[in-house]
Amino acid sequence: MSQNNKKETSAVRKVLGFLGANSVPVMFILICAVCIPISGFSPAYLLNEIVTRMGRNVFLILSLLIPIMAGMGVNFGMTLGAMAGEIALIFVTDWQIWGIPGVVLAMIISIPLSIALGLLCGKILNMAKGREMVTSYIISYFINGVYQLVVLYMMGSIIPIKHSTIRLPRGYGIRNTVSLLSMRQSIDNLLAIRVAGVKIPVLTFLIIALMCLVIVWFRRTKLGQDMRAVGQDMEVARDAGINVERTRIISIVISTVLAGFGMIIYLQNMGNMPTYSAHSQIGMFCIAALLVGGASVDRASIGNVFLGVILFHLMFIVAPSAGGKITGDTMIGEYFRVFVSYGVITVALVMYETKKRRAKASLGEQLRAAQQEGE
Amino acid sequence: MSENVNKANRTFTDRARDAVQSFGLPRMIIAVFLLVLFIAAPFVGADFWTQVTNLFNRFSWNAVLVLAMVPMVHSGCGLNFGLPLGIISGLLGATLSIEWGFTGLASFVMAVLIATPFALLFGVGYGWLLNKIKGGEMMIATYVGFSSVSFMCMMWLLLPYHKPDMVWGLAGKGLRTTISLEGYYAGVLSRFLQIQIGKLVIPTGALLVFALLAFLMWAFLHTKTGTAMTAVGSNPTFARAAGINIDRTRMLSVVMSTWLAAVGILMYEQGFGFIQLYMAPFNMALPAVSAILIGGASVNKASIANVIIGTILFQGIVTMTPTVMNSMIHMDISEVIRIIVSNGMILYALTRRTEATR
Amino acid sequence: MRMRKLLFRLGTVAVLIAIAACMMVIGRGHTVYFDNKKMEYEGQEIDTYRRINVFVNGEQVAKLSAKDRGMATFTGQKFSFEIEATKEKGDEPVLCKYNITVPYGQDGTVLNLPGMLAELPEEAYTSEFVPVATESTEEDEEIVTEDFGIGEEAGDF
Repeated sequence: MSQNNKKETSAVRKVLGFLGANSVPVMFILICAVCIPISGFSPAYLLNEIVTRMGRNVFLILSLLIPIMAGMGVNFGMTLGAMAGEIALIFVTDWQIWGIPGVVLAMIISIPLSIALGLLCGKILNMAKGREMVTSYIISYFINGVYQLVVLYMMGSIIPIKHSTIRLPRGYGIRNTVSLLSMRQSIDNLLAIRVAGVKIPVLTFLIIALMCLVIVWFRRTKLGQDMRAVGQDMEVARDAGINVERTRIISIVISTVLAGFGMIIYLQNMGNMPTYSAHSQIGMFCIAALLVGGASVDRASIGNVFLGVILFHLMFIVAPSAGGKITGDTMIGEYFRVFVSYGVITVALVMYETKKRRAKASLGEQLRAAQQEGE
Repeated sequence: MSENVNKANRTFTDRARDAVQSFGLPRMIIAVFLLVLFIAAPFVGADFWTQVTNLFNRFSWNAVLVLAMVPMVHSGCGLNFGLPLGIISGLLGATLSIEWGFTGLASFVMAVLIATPFALLFGVGYGWLLNKIKGGEMMIATYVGFSSVSFMCMMWLLLPYHKPDMVWGLAGKGLRTTISLEGYYAGVLSRFLQIQIGKLVIPTGALLVFALLAFLMWAFLHTKTGTAMTAVGSNPTFARAAGINIDRTRMLSVVMSTWLAAVGILMYEQGFGFIQLYMAPFNMALPAVSAILIGGASVNKASIANVIIGTILFQGIVTMTPTVMNSMIHMDISEVIRIIVSNGMILYALTRRTEATR
Repeated sequence: MRMRKLLFRLGTVAVLIAIAACMMVIGRGHTVYFDNKKMEYEGQEIDTYRRINVFVNGEQVAKLSAKDRGMATFTGQKFSFEIEATKEKGDEPVLCKYNITVPYGQDGTVLNLPGMLAELPEEAYTSEFVPVATESTEEDEEIVTEDFGIGEEAGDF
């Protein structure tokens, strides 16, 4: 009898523990469960949207995984890669390279830009150990200023831009929107199949699957192991002969390059590029989605990415309409999803920091206990 | 004799070097840049005294927001990226004061009074949160600010405001994005005891209010509680040994910062003449943060002088670059310069090795 | 070991540059404009056709009456198309197949089809398409993005 009771309580505790550890995804499932029926969207529509958005966003979010592995937190500096990708796309558009060759060329051009920006970001982050996140966050603002300087003032005046269709009428600077019509969904449409009215961009998913495999493989390489060691404890890793600074910089460089690719995949799906605002929110979206998927600042898996994209974008699609139906004002829904995105990041950050403190405290207690035992 | 001269010389160069070092290279560059702008201004046709008046005005709008950074830096909570939270209590005070029918100077005083309980409430909650996550304050503060701004975006639409001056005319509910303060407290402080010499106009009243708040802050930092706060920030172990309640001191600093932010936004509005709601407070923390850093503060050190110098330098660049740069190179790159300078300054401060990295 | 690493890196860079160069060639987009218009060449006047149908890879891309203009896009420098031209009503349509090469730096090329059908030299019937300065497109079209749709610019204050 009592044993039975014990079993039950342990089962309850397990469930509670599971809920506690995954409170953010659970909360999101609840939000979606409430909002989907109210919003009145058909399941087919939602499925179609989710598949499109998965193809569009997953690669970008995958770029966040490696710095997390290296213990540098979520990389707000992924925006840098996004900017590199955008600059590459501007050139490719100006040179009139179309279709998949255009996308591939843009990716190749983005690599040196991303590497340069990633090196800069990594160097700065090495100078700000312990506050990587807030620093990478400010770096993204700082480089956004530099990006504007280059794109708004130097392109067309110093950097040659031929076509007046993407130049501002004043003769220099790039227009607010660059049309990517010539390469719109070129990756998505190749090999695309339709299943029950849902368009599946097979090639995009193949690229994403390949990237996932690469990440899994990378974790097992020497460099990947080093990164995990650095992420766990920098001092221990240093004692083990790992070049900590270099490893951290490499992780940021890889992240930036992948973010550049991700941005190009994202924009080829959108079909046009808001030159000055495309990158400003992308970091926040990706981070929120990853955290919604149950990742934390120090631990994130590929599964988190997929779950996060599905849940976050479900909320994203249904919130305005659901908010409109409930309060009679669609703006409420729009603000609601903004609030939820920021709220999720806040909650995840708070949970991470409290966990870190608790771990520190329990470590101290363990040490004390060990000392007492020694006496 | 010659030795003496030599010594004097050396001390002078040493002093200069010390001054540069303590002032910091980026700060020096910004100061020189601003000086060049001022010298260049008359040559490009910008009137010197109008520029100075602009600077005075912008100083009086922004100085209190920058002052709000001081307590949290002192107590070791870092730069208050969560400033929007305080700004929101200020906005609540402002809108409620108008809703309840106050006008003129009374509306300003009432706005401050109404904002105070909100600021205390939010400040206590915010301080409690920051005490739980010591070491990760700045990132979380940023996101607390963002979340609260986006939460209030919903509230501005939903709360039952009715004053026709503030709500959307058609729907009769939901606050507008910008609300004119004409007839309420636009310029009530700036016009008080205003001094006008030719083209130079000095908003004496607003400057006096700032001076009063700055003096109070200075005096507070010299009281027992104030020194305790500094101790908590600069040396937590020592502070704990001295029997200071760290959590309570930090909490106090957060509440003070939040309240000052509330007053700061009201000061800003009385100068600017409009209340800006919804996403407007979103990025208001960054200019204040970079201003105090330009003024010579670091992540864990800040003084009233930093506030004054920083606000003058930052606002100087904000007001001078558009006019001077535009006429010099015919390109409006002032905005970009502002973004690069201010964020670069924050980056510089974040990457400096500071003593108290917990 | 270090040598090998360096070689490996240089090799990667070389491969990437090669791919990039390849992409620049095969991905270069061109637009061809087909004109069914009157033209004059060395005093010889060439009249329009009543109807010309243009096919690319068996797909009809343009159906031109007299004085019409049609267009097609392609990537790379070589372009082949077929035309089916009818001079007068009731005439048997003429079937022709053409392969043209467009210079790399030229975005748009205008082909005068009657000229081509009259077998004039190439420079007579090809000309570069010069877009008219379109000042009217100054106002930006509605931008469809996935963002919040509320003014929030990064680092802009």
